[in-house]
Amino acid sequence: MSYRQARWEEPAIWELAPPRPVEAVPAIPGVPERFRRREPVRWPELSEPTVVRHYTRLSQMNFGIDTGTYPLGSCTMKYNPKVSEVLARRAGAAQIHPYQPESTVQGSLELTWRLERLLGKITGFPEVSLQPAAGAHGEYTSLLMVKAHFRDRGEAERRTEVLLPDTAHGTNPASASMAGFVTREIPSKDGCVDLAALRAALSDRTACFMLTNPNTAGLFESEILEIAEAVHAAGALLYYDGANLNAILGVTHPGRMGFDLAHLNLHKTFATPHGGGGPGAGVLGATEALAPYLPVPRVVKQGRRFRLDYDRPKSIGKVKTAYGNFGLDLRAYAFIVAHGEEGLRHIARRSVLNANYVAARLGRRLPRPFRPLVKHEFVLSGVPLKERGVRTLDLAKRLLDEGIHAPTIYFPMLVEEALMIELPETESPRALDEFAAAVERALDDTPEHLRAAPTACAVGRIDEVRAAREPILSWKDQRAAAGAVPPPGPEADPGTPPAA
Amino acid sequence: MPGSGRRVRATALVRWISDEAGEEAGLLRALGLTSADELFRDVPKKARLGRLGVGASREEPEVVAEVDRLLDRNRPLGRFASFLGGRISARYAPAAVDAIVSRSEFYTSYTPYQAEASQGMLRALFEFQSLWVELSGVDVANASLYDGATAAGEALLFCRRLHEGRRFLVPASLPWEEKSVLANYASGPGLVVEEIPYDARTGRLDLEFVRAAVAAKDVFGLLADVPNGFGVLDEGIFELKGILGEVPFVVAADPLALTVLEPPGSYGADVVVGEGQGFGIAPSFGGPLLGLFACRKEHVRQAPGRIVGASVDAYGRPAFTLTLQTREQHIRRSRATSNICTNESLMALAFVVYASVVGPRGLARLQTSLAEKARTLATALGPLGGLQAPRFESPYLGEFTLELARGDCAGFLERLRRRRVLGGHPLADPRPGAARSPERLLVAPSPWVGEKEIARYAAAAKAWSATGGGA
Repeated sequence: MSYRQARWEEPAIWELAPPRPVEAVPAIPGVPERFRRREPVRWPELSEPTVVRHYTRLSQMNFGIDTGTYPLGSCTMKYNPKVSEVLARRAGAAQIHPYQPESTVQGSLELTWRLERLLGKITGFPEVSLQPAAGAHGEYTSLLMVKAHFRDRGEAERRTEVLLPDTAHGTNPASASMAGFVTREIPSKDGCVDLAALRAALSDRTACFMLTNPNTAGLFESEILEIAEAVHAAGALLYYDGANLNAILGVTHPGRMGFDLAHLNLHKTFATPHGGGGPGAGVLGATEALAPYLPVPRVVKQGRRFRLDYDRPKSIGKVKTAYGNFGLDLRAYAFIVAHGEEGLRHIARRSVLNANYVAARLGRRLPRPFRPLVKHEFVLSGVPLKERGVRTLDLAKRLLDEGIHAPTIYFPMLVEEALMIELPETESPRALDEFAAAVERALDDTPEHLRAAPTACAVGRIDEVRAAREPILSWKDQRAAAGAVPPPGPEADPGTPPAA
Repeated sequence: MPGSGRRVRATALVRWISDEAGEEAGLLRALGLTSADELFRDVPKKARLGRLGVGASREEPEVVAEVDRLLDRNRPLGRFASFLGGRISARYAPAAVDAIVSRSEFYTSYTPYQAEASQGMLRALFEFQSLWVELSGVDVANASLYDGATAAGEALLFCRRLHEGRRFLVPASLPWEEKSVLANYASGPGLVVEEIPYDARTGRLDLEFVRAAVAAKDVFGLLADVPNGFGVLDEGIFELKGILGEVPFVVAADPLALTVLEPPGSYGADVVVGEGQGFGIAPSFGGPLLGLFACRKEHVRQAPGRIVGASVDAYGRPAFTLTLQTREQHIRRSRATSNICTNESLMALAFVVYASVVGPRGLARLQTSLAEKARTLATALGPLGGLQAPRFESPYLGEFTLELARGDCAGFLERLRRRRVLGGHPLADPRPGAARSPERLLVAPSPWVGEKEIARYAAAAKAWSATGGGA
């Protein structure tokens, strides 16, 4: 209860510099006058200390894993090892251009090749590509491969459907649509895929079934082998969304479970920083039958040399400018090398233990809609709060005041007022207990206090409806709306918010 | 060396996993379990694994040694005079940029869905959006996409939401990687990417081709790039909107070029995309990069990706939040405008910090000086036999196309590399099935290149030319 986020009345960066005389953009020899920018870029000229202080103050109004527990379900917010940050900034990693001759980038190629092999072992696939930039990008790339595969078999015209459970991440149906498929949701039974419903939905129109296992209810799909059999019997492919791989590292893998394609999120399981929403890296694994469709180039080893191979006639081509997000690949490589076989198993064991420990405790206070044994995350329902006139959203905001990030809320959609909680292996028992106690305190708090939360953050509850109804999306909009929005400053402040 | 012995701890092998004083046993006891194996009884036996075969765990110094061993096999840009460019550039970023990006409140945070606890990132992203709006000259920017190529892909799909049709026009001079990415984005909905031929002498778009295509009524969008894939500044770009009429017009622009060139919004662009890596982001063998996207305000509800908006909090104070989220995958699912979730927020932060530290005058100076270097080199190479520099008779900025009349880009580049010069990158599609194209290089002097390095390039090229290189 001692948390208090910094609350700077920091102006926008363009308010930090006094207006300056407009200076014409220089003419460049050989460039016709018509191209020359008539109005110079309106952006402030500031000294470096002013800029650094501005963004340092902004950082102090931002919550990160290093600040406190971050129990976001399906996001795997684990500690980001500091050594990876140091290594990714070495000149040999950062100051490498992707168009350098292969002889000068043997280290990058070898690291990529090695990481692909390690991830191949972890996922059970013979080939892995690091090209996709994020999980959703990996899904999309996979679905283009699925399409190419069925085109080669003369079935593309017919196989136009992608099936997914109602617990699927939103990216799954969105990726399927972008790739030109029609999506169909399979209802869940007790939080898992209803095998009978899946069987009934599978047909010769099905291209692919997309599945997350453990799923977003935190449950392991124990009928996975039967699911794989049913999907394959229908001539369709099985796709693994690797968002929740953390729970099963070394225990099982998509290859063994019968999946044909998988993406992994290096920014989840392999601890590369989320960066306030990105960058990520969406590794893609494929069976032997689907590997020929992977994007080019592929990194290959010839004798002791490594090179980029573009000779893949069945490849779908490219999905990104360069090969992949190497800066993140390197961090993931360091993470895997450090953990090794036993360390990876330990991650699964400990993340599952953490989830079950906190689930057991909080299950005494809020309903748990599904069976008790969960994997790395669990779901609670905030429905009982409604009797007191508060919602899951209020509980989430109240946690922010404790110096703890809120869990994922209102997802999965099949649970009313859902809270989805994940506490990765890097969280100590002390952190787990503090989190559980904070939720309990919030549940015991008054509805008025819950609805007023947060009060200890840089700002109070934000009017999101107004943001969407009258969108002000840039400095330009702010100038246009000047007058409509009260300027920051003492006269616009209706008083000090209540102390936390 | 410390820690080089394979020390196996009694409990946690890796100190990043929480396990002080055997705490796992306590957690198991609290659950009434005797072994952690019981937690996995829901995984069928037939799906269980033996060993993965990924090796034993290692202590931090060993990990450092292993990664450094690999990185030592690389030769970083600093060892060469670099003329590598294209969409990815090597430029100096003031140390202050990395100092801010390294603030762990920023880099260890998640997507700012809990806006009250994430004002820092939201405000930085709002400033980033404002900067791209200013540079591009259109109304609304999103909070980033993966890279320039995928931003172009998203622009293609965006145009299709605004306009009927099946064909999307792009310059034939567009880098092959981008054409390939665009073809993939088009393939989902069964759309076609069609190449606009260029004038062989000037490298400029064939506007008659565009006119005819638009008249056929089946074009739903057109993308043109500034500078184009040959480094050419094509004056035809000012006429495109007039030809396109209501057909959406996408400009892919280099943000540094926009500090000295007219903003695409001023000549009718409906969408402006770009690669933002050159602003404070290390090339890192090609990633992470930064996709820039901006569009007109009336189309914002069709835009892909996250957008930060201004609002107020419960006390009336200015506050920022992700907004217009009903466009996005986590709400709209199969009907979302895009599947993108994770984007490149931290890179967007680097972009706006870089621009703020260097300042608009500094940026314009940098672009001016790079243009001067490119001119000096092209002038030095011009008279040499067997090569044509610049290949196209058109204005250019910091990069130009060099054509080797007798071919053999690889031999030319290798000759230069031996003199510690990275002479450019081949423009041809390297896939064996690709159509044969002339042997061309895109040459882009880096900021570190001075008169001496330009002279070295010219001398090596001269020697290559004199010995009948490529013949």
